[in-house]
Amino acid sequence: MNDILLLLPEFVLLISAFVIFILDLLWKKQPEKAGMFPVLALLGSLAAFAATIFLWMSGGIRLDIIATDSGNQVPMLAVDQFALFFKAYVALTLAFVSVIATDYIRARTPFRGEFYALTIMAGLALMLVASSVNLVMIFLAFEFLSITSYLLTGYLRDDELSIEAALKYFLYGSVASAVMLFGFSLIFGATGSVDLVGIAQGLAKADHTITTFLVFPSLVLIIVGLGFKIALVPFHQWSPEAYQGAPTPITAFLSVGPKAAGFALMARILTIAFPAFAASANVSWIVILSGIAMLTMTFGNVVALWQKDIKRLFAYSSIAQAGYMLIGVVAIAPQYVGGSPEVVGWPQGLNGLLMYLLAYLFTNIGVFAIIIAMENKTGSTAINSYAGLIKRSPYLAVAFLIFLLSLIGIPPTAGFIGKLFVFGAAITQGMFVLAFVAIINSVISVYYYLGISRQMFFTQSDDTSPIAVSGPLNAVVTITLVLVLAMALWAQPFIDWTTNSAQIIASSF
Amino acid sequence: MEKLLLLTPLIPIFPLLAFVIIIFGANKNNKLSAWLAIGGIGLSTLTSWLVIAGTIMGGHHVQAEGWRLPIPWMPTGEIVFNMGVGVDGFTAAMLFMVPLVCLLIFIYASEYMEGDPRYARFFAYVSLFAFGMLTLVIADNLLLLFMAWEVMGLCSYLLIGFWFEKTSAKRAGLKAFLTTRIGDVLLFAGMLILYSYTRTLTFHELFKPETLEMLSGTMMWGIPVSALISLLVFGGAVGKSAQFPLHVWLPDAMEGPTPVSALIHAATMVSAGVYLVARMLPLFAIVPDGALRWVAIIGAITAFFGATIGIAQNDIKRVLAYSTISQLGYMMIALGLGGFLAGVFHLLTHAFFKALLFLGSGSIIHAVEHGAHHVNDHHTDPQDMMNMGGLYGRMKRTAWAYFFGTAALIGIFPLAGFWSKDEILAEAWLQWQEAGFMSLPFWAWLAGTLGAFLTALYMGRQIGLVFFGKPRTEAAAHAQEPGNRMTIPLLVLAFFAATLGFINVPFIKGGWLHHFAGEVHAASHALHLEAIPFQVSVAVVSSIVALGGFFLGWAMYRNLKAGQQDPLEKMLGPVFTVLKNKYYVDELYTAIFIKPTVKLATLCAKFDYDWVINPIVNTVGRIGVVSAIISAKFDEIVIDGLGVLGTARFFKWTGKELRLTQSGQVSNYLLTIALSSLTLVGMYLFFIRM
Repeated sequence: MNDILLLLPEFVLLISAFVIFILDLLWKKQPEKAGMFPVLALLGSLAAFAATIFLWMSGGIRLDIIATDSGNQVPMLAVDQFALFFKAYVALTLAFVSVIATDYIRARTPFRGEFYALTIMAGLALMLVASSVNLVMIFLAFEFLSITSYLLTGYLRDDELSIEAALKYFLYGSVASAVMLFGFSLIFGATGSVDLVGIAQGLAKADHTITTFLVFPSLVLIIVGLGFKIALVPFHQWSPEAYQGAPTPITAFLSVGPKAAGFALMARILTIAFPAFAASANVSWIVILSGIAMLTMTFGNVVALWQKDIKRLFAYSSIAQAGYMLIGVVAIAPQYVGGSPEVVGWPQGLNGLLMYLLAYLFTNIGVFAIIIAMENKTGSTAINSYAGLIKRSPYLAVAFLIFLLSLIGIPPTAGFIGKLFVFGAAITQGMFVLAFVAIINSVISVYYYLGISRQMFFTQSDDTSPIAVSGPLNAVVTITLVLVLAMALWAQPFIDWTTNSAQIIASSF
Repeated sequence: MEKLLLLTPLIPIFPLLAFVIIIFGANKNNKLSAWLAIGGIGLSTLTSWLVIAGTIMGGHHVQAEGWRLPIPWMPTGEIVFNMGVGVDGFTAAMLFMVPLVCLLIFIYASEYMEGDPRYARFFAYVSLFAFGMLTLVIADNLLLLFMAWEVMGLCSYLLIGFWFEKTSAKRAGLKAFLTTRIGDVLLFAGMLILYSYTRTLTFHELFKPETLEMLSGTMMWGIPVSALISLLVFGGAVGKSAQFPLHVWLPDAMEGPTPVSALIHAATMVSAGVYLVARMLPLFAIVPDGALRWVAIIGAITAFFGATIGIAQNDIKRVLAYSTISQLGYMMIALGLGGFLAGVFHLLTHAFFKALLFLGSGSIIHAVEHGAHHVNDHHTDPQDMMNMGGLYGRMKRTAWAYFFGTAALIGIFPLAGFWSKDEILAEAWLQWQEAGFMSLPFWAWLAGTLGAFLTALYMGRQIGLVFFGKPRTEAAAHAQEPGNRMTIPLLVLAFFAATLGFINVPFIKGGWLHHFAGEVHAASHALHLEAIPFQVSVAVVSSIVALGGFFLGWAMYRNLKAGQQDPLEKMLGPVFTVLKNKYYVDELYTAIFIKPTVKLATLCAKFDYDWVINPIVNTVGRIGVVSAIISAKFDEIVIDGLGVLGTARFFKWTGKELRLTQSGQVSNYLLTIALSSLTLVGMYLFFIRM
């Protein structure tokens, strides 16, 4: 296959973003045409999705895009099935976000074209992050993603909360990037390589002093940088404010997109560059991350108990959910017997992570679509504005309830399958403490998730006017609802997809 | 033509959709609900025809070996459960019968049920029922089949007890549910054993010669596993298909609306048991000298025994119910003698003429009810044949349809029942010639032939009582033919009752159905799969028997006057009383099972309340009260205070405190990053030193 074709999804996104930028300029005088932007963004995302699926189907072998550096060939991007899984994930996220943003953005700002173009650019950055196999490329893609995210968070420039959130996010992100870059430089110093495979080879030759004083600190610093993107405790502090301040569609985007990219990168770096340190006697990233996972889920859940604002609540919820997902990385099966029919479909850690991410994507997008619908109608994001929703819009209330059940992990919902796979992987790996803490945390989370449904079903509200939901939002709620249920009731295709996608990374481990 | 076969999974979906839409949306609108149900089953019928066309065009390959669409379900341990569907000649034959008969019944019901307060709900239930049966016939594995089987169990309960205000209907629903449940448990046990030995429930994997050999070679409790499984599976069929001794629920099922009776007796419920045995026949056949013999014995007993009860019943639907029990016995005889196709053929033809007879009886009941309303009479039982008479003149369409159904049932040349029943008797006859006098096939033939005589007798009695003579009540005198939506389905069914037999006339290429559906089990050597040549002697004997029985019954009853004693009762005396009371089987079950169970329960209750448990409990209770006071204090202070509420408070408190870490000051946040990173690095350096 032509190498350039391998980057088809990225090119599709790039072109869509530029088309929107240019049309935005051309249509300055014709604001009535601005309604076309979300449509273009949706079409671009779907085209990128189609291109990705096409590549996934025809792929299956690892293909590297090589950059030539004065005669040395340095792999930059890998278009393997693992990366393609995330690209498909990103394209889907973009499609959903462009639809749920339509009404919200129209009501709040006259500058609509740039919003979609920037969102697509952020998606492009996510795709690059998922593909990167080189520290330089990783950092570039990461920064690209960060900068577009800051812009989007502060997009509502007349809204103080939005501006403040963007600034904090920017400051925090810059420091985190610097920390990670420092980590990268240490590892480059230790191994003389910026390529992930090269690093692993270099580490195999490194002596004790180097590993003690360069490799271990760098591993920690890299985890800090990744932890910031994923919002793991204690590197999560930017997220509640950014989530609350950002335009709600961007909150939805931030809660699923960068998180997934962070996990993709984490899985790739740790399994390809640091397989020897997974569980070595002195240092083990499995132990560090297990600790962080337990800390993250417990912190997220406990603090969420107190939230009164639904966007903030979902910020903490997404912190807690990231804690569960992290189990998928730490419970990775060391001896992967991929491909044989007996084991396909067994929880192997990584496939659980991918399952969980998919489940979380469908569920969270559905949740945010409902939050946006409510915000459009009531102008409020307080949890008590959901009182009596069952009378005002029975469909939204029931759909929300199902999404909440999915977040808790109750069958027959996608969240159940996700939890089944990551918790199952922990138990298969004998990590009983981790599994136990995760299960206790799931129980704690019931309190605040069902607190919302208590408001919706059992609390009376003064305002009983029915809530009209626009067609696009309704469509997103319905589609995600169907996907949430389908993933549980017809799990096999999803299990196959994620297992095959995880295989290339897991088998190198 | 595989493309047409791909439509198979859609067949049960339409009625299911109808069910869902009616239950969740359309139930306020009666007309819409009925149309949804009819539309759903209509689409199923059309789709089935396309699938049948695909099967016919697919030729021998599809018809004999089958086409399968495995749908992988959840992985369970090492095995992935397949929920696949499949089509072969046998399934295609069933797909011709089931949706078509259901469709006609639904159309009929849309008029019959008019005025019922739960009209919409009725159509939701029957749609679900049809969904169950259609899923059952297209399932290519026991697991899906069992699920559909259970759906039907539920529907039969809901529909037989549809008029649950009547105590008798409520009890009948419960009886049907519990009785068939005995069979279901046996079937499920059989499935479990089967699965534990073979690790699969898919038919074509089960029927591989090596699997069957393994099953018959392996012993469990001293008998071959295959024998054990076959008998358990047969137990399921005995319950569902109302074979002796689990037949008791079927006559009581008459408490449901008449279209439901037609549905249960023809297209769905009872066919399922026969279908199951026919489907699993290779497993039965592999058992040396075992399971099949029992199928034939139970079938023969049921065929004869059901028919004898039929002659002494006065309720028009009960006569038909016992007739169904008896006819199902014939099917079991055929299957038990290894005549796969003979059983299947009778299953198909019987469905049409029995649906016809039931709908016809419904039409008659409807008419008499109408008459009773007309003369303001609320005491006449509209189902009692003694209250009818002379209806021929008042409802010619129904009457003629009914005559066709009767002629088909008793086996008059050349109607459907003649060919199918004849094939069963011919099968028995031929095997008897081989096995000798007093052998099992001889007894089966004898039971079948005597049963045929009795069938003709009770049908003659029924025709005489219902249509001829003078009306015995005012209600019957004012009976009125129902409308087109009820009579047209009758005529369509009459057409098939008359002609369906021609699909398997032995003179035409040894029977068309034989080639189409008969080779499904070709791999099994233990079955008699070759077509049976036409046996003139059998045909002559059974025709004489049928005509004789019919005219005897007709002659005795056609001029019965109101209040006159039943002529057969006069003739048979106490025997008639025994038959009228169905051999006291219900009373026997009450005495053997129900009474002792209630007694035991009462005893246990006494034991609990008066003698042992309660006194102990009371004593313990008193001690308890005292200790409760003590422990309450303990709870309040320790458990609630520190434990439950304490835990809750702890989490809320930590949450509250931790919330404060979110100070809003970016500089604090940045400090946290730095401190956390340093702590992590520091911890590692510390540990390495150690």
